[in-house]
Amino acid sequence: MKKIGSKQLIPLATALIGVVFAVIGFTQLGFWDKEPKPGFFPSIIAIVLVIASIAAFFQTLKEEEQPNYNKNELMVIGGGLSLIAGTFLVGLIPMVFLYVLFWLKVIEKGTPWKDIIIIELIVAVIVLGVFAGWLQVQFPWGMLEMLR
Amino acid sequence: MENFAMLFQGFGTALTPMNIGACLLGAVLGLVVGAMPGIGSLAGVALLLPLTYKFNPATAIIMLGALYYSNMYGGAFSAILLNIPGDSPAVVTTLDGYPMATKRKRPGQALMTANTASFVGGIIGMVILTFMGPGLANLGLKFGPSEMTALLLIAMTSISWLVGENPVKGLVITALGILLASMGMDTLSGAPRYEFGNMYLLGGIPFTPFVIGAVGFAQVINLINERDSDNEKRAKNADKDTKLSIRGSVLTGHDLKRLLPPALRSGFLGTFVGVLPGAGATTGSFMGYAIQKKFKSEEELGTGAIEGIAASEAANNAAAAGAFAPLLALGIPGSGTGAVLLGGLMMWGLSPGPLLFENEPEFCWGLIASLFMANLFTLIVAVCDSVPDQNSVCAGQIYDTDHHSGLCGGGVQHEQLYVWCYCDVYFRCGGISAEQEQFPLCSNAFVVCTCSDSGRQYAQSIYYFRRKSQYLLYPAHYMCTDAYFCRYCRLLDGKTAFVEEES
Repeated sequence: MKKIGSKQLIPLATALIGVVFAVIGFTQLGFWDKEPKPGFFPSIIAIVLVIASIAAFFQTLKEEEQPNYNKNELMVIGGGLSLIAGTFLVGLIPMVFLYVLFWLKVIEKGTPWKDIIIIELIVAVIVLGVFAGWLQVQFPWGMLEMLR
Repeated sequence: MENFAMLFQGFGTALTPMNIGACLLGAVLGLVVGAMPGIGSLAGVALLLPLTYKFNPATAIIMLGALYYSNMYGGAFSAILLNIPGDSPAVVTTLDGYPMATKRKRPGQALMTANTASFVGGIIGMVILTFMGPGLANLGLKFGPSEMTALLLIAMTSISWLVGENPVKGLVITALGILLASMGMDTLSGAPRYEFGNMYLLGGIPFTPFVIGAVGFAQVINLINERDSDNEKRAKNADKDTKLSIRGSVLTGHDLKRLLPPALRSGFLGTFVGVLPGAGATTGSFMGYAIQKKFKSEEELGTGAIEGIAASEAANNAAAAGAFAPLLALGIPGSGTGAVLLGGLMMWGLSPGPLLFENEPEFCWGLIASLFMANLFTLIVAVCDSVPDQNSVCAGQIYDTDHHSGLCGGGVQHEQLYVWCYCDVYFRCGGISAEQEQFPLCSNAFVVCTCSDSGRQYAQSIYYFRRKSQYLLYPAHYMCTDAYFCRYCRLLDGKTAFVEEES
């Protein structure tokens, strides 16, 4: 029995997504009632996705190589997730600064403060100057929203 | 000949110091805005529209036209140097632009190729617009649901041209992209679709944030992998080999020979696509690239081929010019940016439509003449901008010389710090390294976009996959396919509703 790895899990996941979209398309959105309904086209594509995913699954079973995972890759994913989580707590802008500081001081270990300040300033100019100032983007403030 | 004479009159209107200055300012601002990933021409034009309030209509629209045009150029900058498309038409440019800049160590020439091809494509588009604009606009209007469905299905079936070695996985990721693109409002009924009770999904998944997020995240992971392997050597090489210089940016005669055929071809194709309401520059660049696949290229497309950059850049600039035909002659914006320009025209009391050329010939031909000017000015500005000094950020590489850290952020000029301002995210399904390439489609990215355009939602789905450490992106072009497909089915079914709508 071949061990199921991420290569096999991916087509299974896409097949599952296809099933969800097809079920919603057929049952909730409607497929055809004298004319195409909102679920018409997505349902067709969902069925195509399910069939193609099953084919891809069997194809991957024939492939011998399995991917290698690198701990550092997961750190990037973890960093992204913590940034999103932190946004709900203290808001996006403070979290961006904290993230850059954490990355350079803790992960990279020993980045000079001078470089950190320069980078933080650049981030400030871009985020605050361009997006908050010029483009008037409304950034989320997380729980700090309640204090404002 | 009459059109030619009118064009010369238009140059008379456009070539005043005030208008030249406005054109130059628009070119510079548009280039800056276009190069910023995530802003794009639509937001760029909309943001800078207020700057033109105090101008007279001709000067204002000349500035906006230049801004629009230079945005198309600007998108290629970040696509080539950072592997982040500045706007959606530049997505295809990343396929060959970035590999040419990094793997072939020719960043300056990649930029010059993009600029030259953009110029050629733009000129073709403008010449066609000058002589055949109103006629093309009418032709574009004859494209009903059946024709658009056929066109879009051709685009979608062209997956087979680009899907590479594994069509099944290509189909998986394409279908997934289309499904994500279908989230949000149904274009025909207005009913919410696949929003899963989340109000943020009612508008669908926006294209630009998704692309930037998807593309950038992957690159950070890529950087981490690269850091682990031979980082000092790589940093030295990057420092040595990928700096931009004037000498390194000049195209050779051989390069120009390679550039011109695809640029000319895509110029004509892009103009036609640009004329079609709802198609636009993004469709143009994708189709230009897909067509180029059918022609012989000296280097394989996707590996940093000049032909690939030329095909996409020429097509999207030509499409930008072509989009002016329905806008001016019929008052129908061919794209979101066209809609903003239309708003600008109306703000100044002009009513685009069949009578505009008759009632406001000075303005119309002045605008067309200014597009020629804008194209030239933007080329000059872009060329000047693409050969910065030796300390500038170079092709995507950002290395802290001590720590070799990868950051997501903006470009930095610093003697010791070469920031990867490089957000290249792909969906790390399974967390597979790009270099390992064991599951080329699903391990890499797909991008889905939906964008609201001229009151009609256009959806596109795109997916990325990587082949031997370089990207090969393929668009499953889906613009309006859903809506057109449904309408076409109604037509087949003989529904009167459709007939009434058509009539």
